[in-house]
Amino acid sequence: MSNTDYAGTLTEEAARAALTDFLELRTKHVWEPATDLFESGAVTSIFAMELVVHVEQTFGVTIEGDELTMENFRTIDAMVAMVFRLKAGARRG
Amino acid sequence: MVDALAAVLAETVGQRAGGWDLSGEIPEDALRALGTRGVLCAAVPAEFGGQGLSALANGELTAHAGVLCGSTRSVMTSQGMAAWTVQRFGDDKQRVDLLGRLTGGELAAVCFSETQAGSDLSAIGTRIVEEDGEIVVDGRKVWATAAAYADLLLVMGVHGAGAAVAAVPASARGVTVEKIPGPLGCRAAGHSNIRLDSVRLPKDSLLVGSRLPMAMLGTIALTYGRLSVAWGCVGMLRACLAAGTRHVRDREQFGRPLADHQLVARHIADLYTLERTATHACERAAESWDRQAPNLASDAVLAKYVAAGNAAEGAARAVQVMASAAAEDGHVVARAYRDAKLMELIEGTSEICQLILARRALEDVP
Ligand SMILES: Cc1cc2nc3c(=O)[nH]c(=O)nc-3n(C[C@H](O)[C@H](O)[C@H](O)COP(=O)(O)OP(=O)(O)OC[C@H]3O[C@@H](n4cnc5c(N)ncnc54)[C@H](O)[C@@H]3O)c2cc1C
Repeated sequence: MSNTDYAGTLTEEAARAALTDFLELRTKHVWEPATDLFESGAVTSIFAMELVVHVEQTFGVTIEGDELTMENFRTIDAMVAMVFRLKAGARRG
Repeated sequence: MVDALAAVLAETVGQRAGGWDLSGEIPEDALRALGTRGVLCAAVPAEFGGQGLSALANGELTAHAGVLCGSTRSVMTSQGMAAWTVQRFGDDKQRVDLLGRLTGGELAAVCFSETQAGSDLSAIGTRIVEEDGEIVVDGRKVWATAAAYADLLLVMGVHGAGAAVAAVPASARGVTVEKIPGPLGCRAAGHSNIRLDSVRLPKDSLLVGSRLPMAMLGTIALTYGRLSVAWGCVGMLRACLAAGTRHVRDREQFGRPLADHQLVARHIADLYTLERTATHACERAAESWDRQAPNLASDAVLAKYVAAGNAAEGAARAVQVMASAAAEDGHVVARAYRDAKLMELIEGTSEICQLILARRALEDVP
């Protein structure tokens, strides 16, 4: 999967669906958009890193510095919000 | 590019690795020369003063260092891991400043381990507290590779509810670095224990993006280190294969070359297989890194686990076929024999790698 899949046309719904698919594929759990991923214990530290890389690759964003917080990865909704914030930032920048 | 950097390594290390192993020290000018000429953290992007090597190219360079000198390669792993940590967790200003220094001849060490916190980083007791617009670092670190040479120490500590990494100048007040006198291997890599007594630093010494849960912070930083150690092990295996094959071809016993004795040939076949499979695991992990494939973290664990185990086994085989010819400290195979064993202990022991890989395998069960 590459960022071109979503070039220009990304909707929040599509982003949420893509993240849910990836999480369910890798963790074999069903995830609601607002469920705390880390509280569940299903997300190991190795998987957390893979998640960071997956979000970067899928949506063509770079998550560094103070965007790299646990809060931004805690729920599917939080990740979607971060992706849109980063994309808006990149367009302005 | 890799060839030019490999040539710098060959020229700087020359035939001196055996002597450095015996004396337990690499001359500082040699390390600084490698640093300023871009060898020690060659994956840093050009915009920050680095060589911008891909993970694959940097891996081949690391293997080359591993062939020549396990201690120099260890310093390279530390410097590269420090640079990657800054690149990943620093803000723009920290990246420009710190990566500029790390590509400009300054040396760095990564300080995670403590007496009570080896495999279990969640037991880290070092504290990083924000106070009056400054940070204060307090704690004890053990076994930090290259710290005896380092200008900059990247120190992981408890910070608020999670963890963080502080960039601590080794010259800061309250920092004491004590070199470990007789490490089993990589003897000249400058492993040291460190005391941090109320070290006060400007607030921007805290890497902005490093305020994460301990385990996640560790994983991200160590993933670089694992790949680097794995390639270093490939280097040790290549050195052992080269020395072992030359020896069994040229030395005769019972009227024919050692290589013509089948039991010896089997050792050589195994050594060759260990080198090839370690290389393949490393290439695969480096490709995952370069593609930024999400499985890069577990591929790095796999590569490190395979390569370290292979190196320990391969070095033992090389000693076996060379016998007394390799039984002297300083010899390339004797060094590999001691150095390789330690590679099964660092950046996640083999058992910790097994736990991660088992978990990974279980996640894949449909
Ligand atoms: C040469 C060398 C260089 C190093 N460089 C650095 C460095 O640059 N920076 C740094 O911060 N640290 C460094 N270290 C420290 C290194 O990271 C630790 O030694 C390593 O994490 C293991 O910790 P430990 O030695 O305390 O062993 P322990 O954690 O006490 O482990 C002892 C044994 O128990 C096993 N074990 C532990 N927990 C489990 C478990 N849950 N399940 C199964 N088995 C388990 C281990 O695999 C091991 O076999 C270095 C160490 C060496 C030897």
